[in-house]
Amino acid sequence: MGKRLLSAILICLFLSVGCSQEQPAQKIDLSKREQVILKEDENIITYAYLPQYSHTVSYHRHHLLVEYLRKETGLNIKQIFPDTFNKHIKMVGQGRIDISYSNPFIYIKISNRYGARAFSRIVEMNKQKNFRGQIICRADNRSIKNIADCRGKRWIAVDATSAGGYLYPLGHFYNYGLTKSDFSEIAFSPGPGGKQEKVVLAVYAGKYDIGTIREGTLNVVSDKIDINEIRVVANTRWYPGWVYAARKDLEPEILDKIKRALLKLDYNQKEHRQILKPAEISGIIPSDDRDFDPVRKLAAKLGMSL
Amino acid sequence: MKLGFRSKIYLGLFSLLLLLGIVILFVVSMIMKEALLEENKNRGISIGSTLAARMAEPVLAMDFFRMKTLVDETVRLSDDIFYTFVLNDKGKPLVHTFKGGFPIELKEANSVSDIHKYSIRLLDTGKQLIYDYAFPVIIDKDRFGTIRLGLLRTKIQEAINRLWWSTFLSTGIVIIIAIFVGTAVAVPVTRRVKILHKSSEQALMGNLDTQTAPLLKKNCWEIMNCNKKECPAYGKIHQRCWYLVGTLCPNCVEGEYAQKILSCINCQVYQKCAGDEIQSLAESFSSMTLSLKTHLSELQNSEKILKEQRQLLKTVLDATPDFVSLQDIKSVYLAANKSFCDLVGRGEQEIIGRTDYDLFPKGQAERYLKEDLEILKSGKPMVKESNISGFNGSKWLHMVKIPVYEADGKMRGLLCSGRDITELKRIQEQLAQAQKMESIGQLVAGIAHEINTPMGIVLGYAQLLLEEVKPESQAYNDLKIIEKQTRICKKIVADLLRFSRRTESTMSPLNINDTIEDVLSVVEHTFKLDRVSLVRRLEPDLPAIVGDKEKLKQAFINLVNNAFDAIIGEGKITISTHYDVQLDEVIISVLDTGHGIPPRKIDRIFDPFYTTKPVGKGTGLGLAVTFGIIQEHNGKIEVESPPLFTINEKEENSQGTLFAIHLPISGKKNKMEIDHVKHIGIR
Repeated sequence: MGKRLLSAILICLFLSVGCSQEQPAQKIDLSKREQVILKEDENIITYAYLPQYSHTVSYHRHHLLVEYLRKETGLNIKQIFPDTFNKHIKMVGQGRIDISYSNPFIYIKISNRYGARAFSRIVEMNKQKNFRGQIICRADNRSIKNIADCRGKRWIAVDATSAGGYLYPLGHFYNYGLTKSDFSEIAFSPGPGGKQEKVVLAVYAGKYDIGTIREGTLNVVSDKIDINEIRVVANTRWYPGWVYAARKDLEPEILDKIKRALLKLDYNQKEHRQILKPAEISGIIPSDDRDFDPVRKLAAKLGMSL
Repeated sequence: MKLGFRSKIYLGLFSLLLLLGIVILFVVSMIMKEALLEENKNRGISIGSTLAARMAEPVLAMDFFRMKTLVDETVRLSDDIFYTFVLNDKGKPLVHTFKGGFPIELKEANSVSDIHKYSIRLLDTGKQLIYDYAFPVIIDKDRFGTIRLGLLRTKIQEAINRLWWSTFLSTGIVIIIAIFVGTAVAVPVTRRVKILHKSSEQALMGNLDTQTAPLLKKNCWEIMNCNKKECPAYGKIHQRCWYLVGTLCPNCVEGEYAQKILSCINCQVYQKCAGDEIQSLAESFSSMTLSLKTHLSELQNSEKILKEQRQLLKTVLDATPDFVSLQDIKSVYLAANKSFCDLVGRGEQEIIGRTDYDLFPKGQAERYLKEDLEILKSGKPMVKESNISGFNGSKWLHMVKIPVYEADGKMRGLLCSGRDITELKRIQEQLAQAQKMESIGQLVAGIAHEINTPMGIVLGYAQLLLEEVKPESQAYNDLKIIEKQTRICKKIVADLLRFSRRTESTMSPLNINDTIEDVLSVVEHTFKLDRVSLVRRLEPDLPAIVGDKEKLKQAFINLVNNAFDAIIGEGKITISTHYDVQLDEVIISVLDTGHGIPPRKIDRIFDPFYTTKPVGKGTGLGLAVTFGIIQEHNGKIEVESPPLFTINEKEENSQGTLFAIHLPISGKKNKMEIDHVKHIGIR
């Protein structure tokens, strides 16, 4: 009896061991090798969104729009992701970005430096054709109540080339008599990508006293932090909104196709709304270089080289 | 070979632990292996997921540098990460960690769909096993590529092996420790069990002086600081006070264990001294043997007393001549004394448990049973005289049957007591016979006296007439016949008178040999004619006895004549005399070679008018007269037929009769003795 019991236990044990979930191994030969060579597609029209947010956000916002353009124009349009504003600027100059979607400050730079031509600009989701910058601090920071309180504080801005996140607030401070030297520190978001969000997070974390962002950024980070913890100290004046520009040498036919396609987008159409809404654009209107003269003036006032 | 208790504990413990060890070894190692693999899987998933998330930006940006940096950093995370690489949405490698080209087969070795978070494949390179993880790089629901991660299975296997060995060693160590612990526990237990076993064997062999309980550090009298040496628990180092009766502690409840244990449990002695179950068993066993010994001793004493009393009772019952028996209400014999056994001719064991049907003839048994039932029904004793026929012949019994009751009044059975009254009956009969004989004797004496005178006249006239008639005449012959018959009648009358009247004796010293010779000389010639010889064996120099010579001669004549009459044809009559110095008496014996006396008749030969002779040959008064004469001389007469010595000599055809007359020299023998010993040697 005892022997039978013992045998049964042992058999069960061995069977249970045999019942392991280990899958059979697939034979593979690692000795067969190849060199990796990637071939770039030809005849690509590159579309770049100034990396004010992370690439994934950029992708999320604009890939439907790019897809729309691809279908609408029949062109091989592809969204690319430059890591920084400078890289974006340079890539326009290098001809690696055909269609640039950037803020007005970058635009005046690529316009000045590389002859990029504005052909459209967007209408903000709040139906504003212009946009502005915001100066933020922690809601519980009692030492900052107005612009004057920002003196001597640590300031984090989005990027030295950012319009809403640096240039416009700098102009705003200038108007209130504050220059760069009036701040104990001026820092820029570490790159690449997600630079607007990084400003909010740095202020939220208390690493900097004030931050400057493009209006609308707080909504972007609302899923990451409690935005009630952030207080808007001041808004800058309105400036022209984001702009579509083509590199200097882009064929006029292509540009025309793209421009027409963009201008065709109507937020009231459901299909178009599905494209525009992720991009946080309520509409695209025609534009030209003259619309951005106020920005050029601001830059000149601040002594910025374009 | 049978295993001992300790061996069984060891074996059981070892088997259990071994089994447990095996189970733990397999189950734990299996679980741990699964857990390790799961952990490894999760780790791979974690690393891969993180990498996939981090890879989204560089993939979007086609930032090969960052992609390469990320895959290289990932590989450097751990030794067991064998490779990492990124495939684009078309399955072409973007960056990888291999040196000297990308392994072609690896691209297709694993794949993951858009809807799955990951896919795991076990790959065998021939040298090592690799868990290959594939993670999709998805941005905004669009597939941008695949992250692949290779984790070495060998490293996990090493960890599993280490785990297996550590579990194995742990189990082994636990078994060894358990054996030591088991030994430490089992040895005292088995030692105590062995002591108990030996003690129980000793108890079975009758030795109840066993000491199984262990010695205590402090005994009850030390704990209680008591000095009551008269307490039964005092000084009993192997006994526990709560088992003992009559302890003198003020807190103790009187009575035995069952009564006192409930109060003892709360006593500090119990709380300090009570041990584990085996100690309790040993202590209770010790107390049990002590109690058993005491009870056994009491029982033995009681048994001894009972036995003595029983023996005494049996002796009394057996010694009593009365028979006694006890029957239950179903008439089954419960007890019987020796007399009863003798009566029914069986041993006691043959009687007990039997009924009357087993001991007596059916008719008799039925009668007894009827009587018994009547007594049991009525409850009244019965007294009766009964003649029963047993193995020893017919007997008269005086019987009493009494119902016996138990203490509660219930009828227990029937006590039967009886007495053999055969002798009494016989004496009563003899007395009646003697009284009858005495009456006859008086009658006879009266008649004889009355007849004697006319017979004298008839004889006288007959003799006168004989003188007057001629002797040749018929009248003379007739007268002679008258004279002769008259003389015979006169002799009969004289005998009757002698028997009945007990005429006065003329006592004088005489020589018995001379008296005998006188008698023999008269009859010898006549006997010779009938070929009966007389043999004399007379002892010379006999002391003289005092007696009536004529009466003694008459007695001897009667004996000799009887002897002659008993001999048919040729024969011999031996007359001998002998002086017994011790008894101081002369013994005269007459031995014949005649036909002897039948046993049934020998009792009556001394009765008057009892004769075995044909009608006309004897009067039946000879031996009665002889008996009377010897009685007169304070002697006694014995008869043996056939003589004892002939039986002892085993002579064939032994017959004849011996009469022996004992005559005291002084003539003053105890009369009682003479009465009691009338005859001996009845066969």
